[in-house]
Amino acid sequence: MRERITTAARGNTDLLGLLALLLVLLVAYQHYDPSLLSPASVTILSAQFLPLILAAAGQTTVMLLGGIDLSLGAVLGLAMAVFATYDARGAGGVMTAAALALCVAVAAGAVNGTLVAYAGLPPIVVTLAASFLWSGVTLVVLPQPGGHVPAGLVDAYNNGWYGIALPAAALALVLAVWKLLRTTRHGLALYAVGGNEHGAYASGLHTRGVKIGGYALAGAFTGLAGIGLAVQTGSADPTIGTPYTLNSIAASVLGGISFFGGVGRMRGTVLGALVIGLLTNLLLFTGISPFYQLVIQGVILVAALALKTYVTREAAE
Amino acid sequence: MNTRSVRGVVALAASLCALAGVTACNVESDSDTAKSGASASAAAAKDLKVGWSTIYLTPSWMQQTLKMLQADVDKLKSAGKVSTFKTFNANGDTSQQISQIRAMIQQKYDVILVDAGSSTALNPALEQAVAAGITVVAFDSLPTSKKVIRVGTDQKAWGSMMAEWLAGKLDGKGSVIAMNGPAGVAVSEDRWAGAETVFKKYPGIKIVSNVHSEYNLAPAAQSFASAYSAHPDIDGVFSQGGALSAAALQTLIKQDKKLVPITGENYNGFLKLWKSKQKEGFSSIATAQPNYLSVIALEAAVAKVEGVSVPQDITVPLPEITDDNLSEYVQTDQPDDSYPINDMPQSEIDKLIGK
Repeated sequence: MRERITTAARGNTDLLGLLALLLVLLVAYQHYDPSLLSPASVTILSAQFLPLILAAAGQTTVMLLGGIDLSLGAVLGLAMAVFATYDARGAGGVMTAAALALCVAVAAGAVNGTLVAYAGLPPIVVTLAASFLWSGVTLVVLPQPGGHVPAGLVDAYNNGWYGIALPAAALALVLAVWKLLRTTRHGLALYAVGGNEHGAYASGLHTRGVKIGGYALAGAFTGLAGIGLAVQTGSADPTIGTPYTLNSIAASVLGGISFFGGVGRMRGTVLGALVIGLLTNLLLFTGISPFYQLVIQGVILVAALALKTYVTREAAE
Repeated sequence: MNTRSVRGVVALAASLCALAGVTACNVESDSDTAKSGASASAAAAKDLKVGWSTIYLTPSWMQQTLKMLQADVDKLKSAGKVSTFKTFNANGDTSQQISQIRAMIQQKYDVILVDAGSSTALNPALEQAVAAGITVVAFDSLPTSKKVIRVGTDQKAWGSMMAEWLAGKLDGKGSVIAMNGPAGVAVSEDRWAGAETVFKKYPGIKIVSNVHSEYNLAPAAQSFASAYSAHPDIDGVFSQGGALSAAALQTLIKQDKKLVPITGENYNGFLKLWKSKQKEGFSSIATAQPNYLSVIALEAAVAKVEGVSVPQDITVPLPEITDDNLSEYVQTDQPDDSYPINDMPQSEIDKLIGK
């Protein structure tokens, strides 16, 4: 038994530090807001963190392939706009709107992936260009903040549905799907191509197909994030997605995803996103001047990364 | 094995330090939580806990707004009506602003002031605050929710005021470059909508180019320069922001071209240029998004707590700066990046908030 715990701990050394930081934040949070562990707070907080976690999951997928997605915020905004305006454009329920938004996001991801795979352009250039493209398309769909999400859904999402925290349930579902996917041929291929593209190609993998599939999957995560944000805010806003690009990168890096591809785990990213979300909330509670809040946030993130590198250096040596 | 345990100790020590640091911060901010919860009762507002969530804090307009607001807070503090005032800066991230509002709800603030980053996205959070018994007042950039008090100017009237003046100046005919704010931003779209309805009445006026730019000098100058090089024979410029106007006027001056009429705002950089070129025949009109909107918002919130029936929508009249009263506004000794405006007399504030 003890052996098993040690092995589990060894396999996840890089995440233990992050987990410890998260626990520290939770204890501090509990101190300011004693209702932290009540169902109502869990619902509110998970509703708030879900879009960032999903966006970070999308970014992680691209980063595992050795890429980076600068168009993530724009695609998120696009999915949000499609979801919230679909109702106004014709008959159809929320599910159709969600499916349509998801399809658009997956298609946007696949286009990014195709350009990276076939045009052979660096992902940072392709996705930077794509960010202008998709934010332009978003403005065509929704020229200014608006759109509509059924009030019942907004309420159920933000305040719980028969006592169930819907965002938390959605997150659990997405993580379960990822875990399943990771063990399949496609999931393994994703890591293989990201870690060593030539090796993967030499082993008979269709690397271009894997890339397109990976970017499309990232699009799916981003689309879900956009739908989550639309449901959280009860509307869509064409410019709200932008900060998610950099925040999702921060969460992924904090979660141990390598910029060079092939290294990292989704659970790390989820922890990273939670740390970033909780940290910003916590700083709001402390009442420190807003400019120092930014300073402290930056210092803590750098310190956490440095500490993590230090503690896990052994593995690399 | 030894290095391993050292690393473990370092990690543990770091966690403990972090924990100690976070709890230490608490000492100072906890001191004011022992306030009486009797603020809901009418008559006199007492020891209100006030928070302001703003989408940006760094632009100079926001800094001036904070300064005016802080002065009013100090006044209300010495009257015993307000006990604490905190500012929350979302730094352009609307999701962050939602977190701020939720944090203020959990911390049981009495009054939430908000300068919204999105006209729709904050509605659920703000309505939740109202449902929790908090007095919520929005100012400047407003949410669409009907449940909060909204203190603002009529952005469509802004656009039509500018357009009407320009159309009159051009005798209803000529080519015009339109300088608008970023696409997809409510303020920019509203001002343009107001202008467009006016221009439609004058078929002789042709919008030869509709430029979108950040409300900043450098990007605006670039956008204007490219539009102007394509249409050098324009008769006027419709601009919906001071930095945009300054960029346009600067370009004309730099290229030594005819100084056609350009509409403006109380951005000091523009007012100074206007003043210096007035004797060369340059003419303009300007209005302002007055910084005292924040003061009116705070006064409205306190009045509401005191039981005054404050109107849901408070539309503050737009000031009008013309060739004649320009010298009352322009401050030649102040930096370009400021927005000269005089305080609003208390009597007028009281009239607006229904006292």
